[in-house]
Formats: sequence, C-alpha cells, structure tokens
Amino acid sequence: MRPFTYVLPTSLEQAAEAATQPDTIVKAAGIDIVDRMKERLVTPQKVVNLLPLKRELSQIAEQNGEVTIGAMVTLTQLQEAKQLQGRAYDGLRRAASTTGTPQVQNRATVAGNLLQFTRCWYVRSEAFRCLHGGRGPTCLAMTGDNRYHAVMGWSDCVRVHPSNLAPALLALGAEYTTRAGEAVRRRKLADLFPADPRAQNPEHTLEDGEIVTALHLPAQPADTRLGYAESREKQSFDWATTACAVRVVMAGGKITAADLVLGAVGPVPMAKPQAAQLLVGKEPSEKLFLRVAEAAFAGATPLAFNAYKLPIGKAVVRAALEEATR
Amino acid sequence: MSTRNRDTGAPREQVEIPREQVEITVGYRALPGKDQQDRLEKITVEPTEGDAPPWDANTPYKVVGSDLDRVDGFAKATGRAKYAYDQNFPDLQQAMILRAPIARGTLTALDLDEARRMPGVTAVVALKDVGNKVRFVGDAIAAVAAPTLDLARDAIEKIRADYDQEEHNVEYLMSGDAPLLSMGGEVDDEWPADDDIDALLAKATHSHSGTYRTEVQTHSSLETHGNVARFDQKHLDVWSSTQATFGVRGELARALRQRGVDVESVEVHSEYVGGGFGSKFSAGIEGLACCLLAHEAQKPVKLMLDRFEEHTTAGNRPSALMQVRGALDENGRITVWDWRSFGGCGFNGSGGAVRHPSAYLGKAKVRQSHKDIACDTDPARSMRAPGYPQGWFGAELFLDELAAKAGLDPLALRLKNDDEAMRLDQWKFGAERFGWAEARAKQNEPGARYLTGAGLASARWGQLGNHGGRNPHGITCRIHNDGSVESRSGAQDIGTGLKTVLTMLTAEELGIAPARVRATTGHTSDPSGPGSGGSTTTPSLAPAVRHAAYLAAQKLVALVADHLGVPLDEVRCSAGKVGTDKAQLSWTDACKLIGQNPIEAHGERFPNYKQDPFHRGVCGAQFAEVRVDSWTGEVQVTRMFGIQDCGLVIAKKLAESQVLGAMIQGVSYALHEQRIMDQRSGRMLNGDFLRYKITGTKDLPALDCYLHSVANGHDNTGAAGLGEPPSTASAAAIGNAVFHAIGAPVRHLPLTPDKVLAALQKAQRTPR
Repeated sequence: MRPFTYVLPTSLEQAAEAATQPDTIVKAAGIDIVDRMKERLVTPQKVVNLLPLKRELSQIAEQNGEVTIGAMVTLTQLQEAKQLQGRAYDGLRRAASTTGTPQVQNRATVAGNLLQFTRCWYVRSEAFRCLHGGRGPTCLAMTGDNRYHAVMGWSDCVRVHPSNLAPALLALGAEYTTRAGEAVRRRKLADLFPADPRAQNPEHTLEDGEIVTALHLPAQPADTRLGYAESREKQSFDWATTACAVRVVMAGGKITAADLVLGAVGPVPMAKPQAAQLLVGKEPSEKLFLRVAEAAFAGATPLAFNAYKLPIGKAVVRAALEEATR
Repeated sequence: MSTRNRDTGAPREQVEIPREQVEITVGYRALPGKDQQDRLEKITVEPTEGDAPPWDANTPYKVVGSDLDRVDGFAKATGRAKYAYDQNFPDLQQAMILRAPIARGTLTALDLDEARRMPGVTAVVALKDVGNKVRFVGDAIAAVAAPTLDLARDAIEKIRADYDQEEHNVEYLMSGDAPLLSMGGEVDDEWPADDDIDALLAKATHSHSGTYRTEVQTHSSLETHGNVARFDQKHLDVWSSTQATFGVRGELARALRQRGVDVESVEVHSEYVGGGFGSKFSAGIEGLACCLLAHEAQKPVKLMLDRFEEHTTAGNRPSALMQVRGALDENGRITVWDWRSFGGCGFNGSGGAVRHPSAYLGKAKVRQSHKDIACDTDPARSMRAPGYPQGWFGAELFLDELAAKAGLDPLALRLKNDDEAMRLDQWKFGAERFGWAEARAKQNEPGARYLTGAGLASARWGQLGNHGGRNPHGITCRIHNDGSVESRSGAQDIGTGLKTVLTMLTAEELGIAPARVRATTGHTSDPSGPGSGGSTTTPSLAPAVRHAAYLAAQKLVALVADHLGVPLDEVRCSAGKVGTDKAQLSWTDACKLIGQNPIEAHGERFPNYKQDPFHRGVCGAQFAEVRVDSWTGEVQVTRMFGIQDCGLVIAKKLAESQVLGAMIQGVSYALHEQRIMDQRSGRMLNGDFLRYKITGTKDLPALDCYLHSVANGHDNTGAAGLGEPPSTASAAAIGNAVFHAIGAPVRHLPLTPDKVLAALQKAQRTPR
C-alpha cells in the first residue's frame, strides 16, 4: 500500500470539504477499497474515512410510511431494523442476509454495497490492460473467460454490477441523498447508475467529492410484497450469478402493481418494466411467472461462456415471484 | 506421495540375533450394529531388542484414545503460536519476488542496477540468468529485500526484464498430446485392440463406458509458503513454513554452497505451520531467494508469498481426464475394467498420475494406461492423496452408472465386488448408521423443485509409516526434577496434531497426566522425523515417542527402586505414581530424585514388525446425501458420514478432525474448487480466495464420522496416518449422490450449477 494522508472528519461538513480535494477517495467500511489499495489498483493521496460519522449516518427513521436509511447503516442493522420488518421489505432483508459473511454484514454499509467496484477479474488485475478505466484498447472479458459476466445491457464492457441490495432498493422505488460541499441533492436511485454503462464510465454516477448520505424508501401501499432470489455457486461469501427483486402490490388475489429488477446480469442493475407489466391485473400462477421470466430475459445477449445465466436467471425470477406472491 | 525418507523396507545392517517372541492380539472388535463380529487374531511378533513392548487390542489405555483437546489449540486460537509469518527481528527486511508476466519464452535481458541503487534497498538477487527459459506466468526472475514491503515493491518495479515471448498453451486438452474429445465430452480416440477385453465386453450382461474429468485444485494453505532467514557468521537460522524441516535443511545447505554462500550450518525452525497439504516439501525458489537476500543484506529477511503467488507458483493437484469401460456378469461381478487416464500437468509434464480403487477388481480383467500432458503452467505437486480423489470420482461414479444399468443398488454392487474384508464390515455398519436404504428409497415428487439423492464411495490409503532408513528417526524424552516432562521431535506439526500425539503417548507410557508433558516440534536440532507426506508422520514417530518415554521411565524406575529398596523389576510408572504395589512415590516425589540434569532418553524408530498383518494400509467408506435445486442447478450437500480405519486412535478429537476436515475439503473439491486460466495471457484469473471458491460454513453438510480403531500389529504402537485416507472418498460419494438425485451423471468436477443444470436438461427431469 502506498502512503496516503488519512482524514478522520468530525462532521459531515468536514468530510464533504475534504472529499473535494484532488486525488481523494472516501471510504466507509473499507471492505473492498483497502484490498485494492494494497494491490495498488487504487493509489490515492488522501483517504477520507467516514467511520467517525457512523452515529450520524447510520440512523433508520420512518415518517408517514417513508423509511430513511442512513448511508452507513450496516447490512446487519438493515436486517434487524424494526421499520423494515414487513413483507414489503422481505426481499431487502434477504438480499442483505446473503451478502458476504456475517462478519462482512456487521461491517459493510448500505451505500458501500451500492457503490461496489466491479468484480471483473480482468478489471481487477493490474496485469490486464483492458478498456475499463481506459487502461487498454479492448474489453478482455468480451473475448476471454466471461462466465461471470453480463448477458444484457452491455456495449463495450461486459462487467456486471455486483450490488445485491440494488435490485431490491430499485424495486422499492428508492431515492438517495448526496452531499457535495454545501450542496445537498436527492434523486431517484436509478440515477446513481450510469445510463450508458460504457467502459469509461464508473460503476456509479457520483461526482468527485460527492458523498451518499441516505437512502429513502417511499411509503408502500397496503399488501406490498418484495421478493428476492439469487443464484450462486457457493452459499458462503460469494457474489450472485444472477439475482432478481420483484415488488408486487396485491389486492383481491390479484397483482395491482409490480416492479422487477435483475442483478448480476448487466453492467448496471437492470429494471424490467415490460416484464413487470405482464403481472399487473393478473392472478399469480406458475404459467404467468414463466412468461414473466421469459420476458425479463427477452433479447438477452449472452457471451461465449455465460449462456447458463439465462435458464438460471429465469428460474431466479420465478423463485422471486413465488416468494412475493406466496 | 513422495516423502523425503521413503521406507525402503531394507533391513538395517546388523548381525541377526534371535529375538524375543511376543504374542499379541490384532484386529478389531465388532462394529456396532447388526451382523458384526470381532475380527481378532493372535499373532507372534519379534520386537527389536530394547524396544517398548507392543500394545495390542487388549491394552487398557488411560490417555490414548481419550478426547483431550489439541494441546496447542489455545496458543493457536489466541495468536500466541508463532508461525514463520510471525517471526520478527530488529532490522528485519521484507522481500518480494519479480515474477515473469509471460507463460513461455526466454529471458533476454535483466537489469538490476536501478533497483540496487534505490535508497533503502538492502539486497537484490537474480533468480534466473539471461538466456534461461521462462516456463509459466509467475516463474521467478529476481528478488529484492528492503525495510518495508512497499519499498521492496517499488524496487521490483524498477527492475528491467525483457523476454523473447513464445506461443503458449495453458489448457492441457488443447495440447497436441491430448486425446480428442467428442462434443459430448467423451474421449474420441479408438481404444487399442485387445481380444480378451473386447470379448468380455461383448458377452457381458451389462456394460458401460464413460469419460470423467476433474479440474486443477490448489493447495490453498492458510499460511503461504515462505521463510525468515538470518545469518550469524556462517550459521544460518531459517524459520520456515514447511512440511519437511530436515528436507529443507539439507536442500538449503546444498543449494547455498553451490551458490558460493559460505555456510557451515543450517538450522530450520517450524514450530507452527499453517498447512501444507503436500505443497511444502521443498524450500522452493522462495526459500533460496530468502537466504540469498539475507546473506547479501547481512540482515534477517522475511519472504512470504502473497496469495496470488501461492495459487500460481506453489503447486497444485493436477486435472484429470479418465475414460472407463467395464462390465458385469449375471452375478453382478465386475468382469472387465478398461481404464485410461490423462493428467493435466504443468510445464514439466509430470505428477498427473491417477489412481483407481483396485479392491473392486479382483476378478476382473484389468487394463490401465496413463499419460501426463504438459502445458505452460506451474507444475503439479503432491496434494493430499495425490491421484486418488480424481480417480475415485471417475471410478466410483462409473460404478454407480453401471449399477444403475444393471438395476443394482450401489451398495449391493460394492458388497459383491469389494475384496477388502474390513470394508465389508464398514459398508454394512455405515449403511445402517447413515440410513442408506431409507435415503435411497426416498422418491422425489415429479416436478419437485428440490431433488434429493444419496451416494457412497470407498476410501483407501496404503502407507503406514517408516523408520527413516539408515539413520532412523528418533524422539527425545526428558524428565525434569520438578516433575515436568518434555517430548521433542525435530519434525514439523503442520496442523495435523503431532504435538498432541507426543503429549498423549508420553503421558500414557509414563502413567502421568498429559498436562505434565510439554511437546516441542519443528527444530532440526532435535531428532529427525519424516516429511509430513503420505500420512506417515504419526505412524513413523509414534513408536519412537513410546520408546523414548519407555527408556526415560526405566531410568526413573531405577532411581525409585534404589530409593525405596525394592526390586527393580517390580517398579512401574502408573496412575501418577512410581513404585511397586506396596511401596510407591508420587510422580512429583519420584522426580525429586533426579538431579540437576534431567533424565534424557533417545527413542528410536525401529523397523516395522515383519509379521505386520495389516501392512497393506487402511480403508474406509463414506456416504453423502445431497439436495439439488433443479431450477438453478445448485447442489447442497445435506449430510455426510464417514467410517475410517485409522490404526490405533491416539488423540480422538484430532483424529475426528482429520476425517471431518477431509470431508470438508471433499465438499469443496466436489462443488467449488477449480483453477481458472486465461488462455490468452496464460495467467490465472481466480488467484485469490474470493474467485477461487473454497467451501464455507453455509455450504457444509451435517458431518459425522466413526473412527474404526484397529490394532494393526505394525510396531509397538500401531498408529496409522489419517491425513490422506478419508480424502479419497468424499468427492466421489457426492458425485454419486448427485447422480442419484437428478437421474443423470455429472461427470465433470466441480459440480457447478451450469453443469448440473445441463445434465438435468439432458435427463429431461425423468423421475426415477
């Protein structure tokens, strides 16, 4: 690890100010960034550690049905929060519970999970000069071993977005608040991910010095359920090969509203409104779920070694739907 | 597995004198359950004169076989145990190796000057000469020492190395030497003609053919390879993460002299070792580099590999491709077994041999052939039962497929064909304990998402320890006048429990509490032991531990007999006392008779008894139940049971740990582990612990094992090694359980969801 200046802010103002300095990174739990610094994949001059602000940034509060989740709420807190115990949040808690290990969940934060760097094994090795970050001329995964890579939504870089909380939060219609210097902004969570996820674009749209401070879950209608399922090669400490979060609002045995978001299949979390629309006005059935699963993966463009993600991903959609409508 | 001190079996040169004959009882008592019986017999053995009298099936034990905790468990759990990695000295230098970025070519230029000139850098050495071949990504080029790892890395980046790169291949199946595979994954080359085999296959009641594959598994020791080296004039101390202290000592002494380093003596220290699994027999290029840097710097140097280096330069279990043809007669006996295998090796094209369970083939016409295939990667090294888990997976799955064709239960097929009498008892016991019949009878509902299945496989290992050849291994036992006892071995404890074995055997022999004994391992100033390979450490050393304690006890007994004025031959050490039935001293009081110098005895490892009825090795059996998610192809192993013959059980908890640990590693091998190479760059893609998937707690089944204690009449103790035997069966049993669950074999490890789903689709989910 190269030497760096370590900043321990005592207030959010101080952190926001420090973050605007050049060649500075902001760390929360440091689950991944410390590893990348050790390997010299990231060599910042300055590291702003947000942990001193944990008390301020790890509150969970509910007002008029809207739940605000501090950016530094840990995945364990998320699972235990009394405001998030209803069926509308089942899938969110489940997604948090599958992440990493209990130790990771005790430390890792909600915002950190959303802002994860790609797991692509070409991008994450200094030995490979790939297109990501402008290090080389082409995406090496596109023609290399891409078993864990994208099957949809890719253009010049086939990385997948690794966050498993993102599909669940997106399906719930979450928003996020950031602070950059003095400026405070609140936007739709979808805006956190690049609309054009090309190699030169980072995994998120935050500007230099911009810090996520909170997430907001809008009030959910009565009998809202959130289902979440994912496929994995290993249950302990691994990332999903495909994931799906689906939100349904039930009334009179029918689905009256639905959102469906896929994870681990594209460079950003993939919302599938057309597939979700198939659910609206229908009674849950296996036949319907199979149709929705097909629609969710319609037009998918798998690579040489990841076509397996299609049947598995469809099964995961079906599983998430079964869980939500059970 | 190759060990540094192979048992040649040759008698030591000495005049044959008639030996005392001792009758002992060997074998085992009836296993629990139906239709089991004692399998005991009396044999006569001739111990070497002066050896401790043999233990046998009738020996009453006080300490041996009890569930004493691992004696160094607390030190390990609290971080007090110092591994090579933990050694620190004033002015310690950190070191790093420059690794070749190409898989094949020639080193054409190497300029170390700029690195040498960097302020702070204390040593730079070349490890490859210009003009030498580069054989794989990670091949060592040069090494640097500096006060910090960061500075060492900066210096590494200043080394200029040029290469003449050649075309490489890191996938052995793409080699011109590899057989062709069909689209279905079958070896597509014609079998060589053989009239007998062809005739047997043609007339068989049931015949079958299949091709099986396994992938490269890395050893993944938690402590990486590495050393700390410190010169004091011409004496060299090396703290090494090794499984062969004496091997490393000899290797370094030779290599350093050849390199012109003035070294008169080398002492290796390995009191704690964070795993080896067969990869740590040699000092390796990293060990040599560490010593050369320490010599040049004239300061102590630490060089430990990082995780990527560990995955890519420190050996692996090679991949295997196996094709089998075989047949059954109308009685379910195997009549023909035609086997050919191919090992996917590193650049040296060796070490890929595959073993298969020959105990089933006693009545069969057998043909077997093997070919190692080279590719431009790090060479294979022995890994926990080299060649066995691969071959057992292929062979045992083939047998289950054959059994299914014949409408036979897999257990019935084993019972008809297994020539191991002991394992026939184990199969019956294990089937009852596991609930085999019930597990096999369970029907999966048509259309059910989760499918369950059960499988089994045999375990086998063939080595029982050695005495060290011309210079037999030994143990030092000391009894101090404060009543404390030392048992010392220069051999290493790689986590398998040698310290606990020393403690328990010494306590048993001296009739004292284990807490009085302090065991020390891993310093080459103490008597030698074998490299920890082939499951030989315990069986090689246990008899010497006993002998040392036995000799030490005789000296104490003499002091006590003299003190009490009782006949020498009536004095015993037992139950914390020394004396006769009538006159005794407590252990503490007896030890007060010892002067300033402790009693010291050197125990020797004598050759095994010639009679040795169980000399062929140990056997076991394992059972596994799985639950397969037919939607996603995910496999969860839900429970496993293993029964394992392990000679005399010395430390029960540690022995169980060995068996359960082998099963855990087997789950990992069956479901997760595989080295993934990038063909274009020749570089490993998953060289860390996140992408190289090792089973975790959530992936583990409920584990159960039964230690089958057998008095084997092998030597004065009758211990058998346990590292390797149980690791032969686990992946095979899991593979068979998946076959049972989904009705189609998945013939390629690891059983990842993509492969399982493909097999399911092929089987079209036909309910069984």
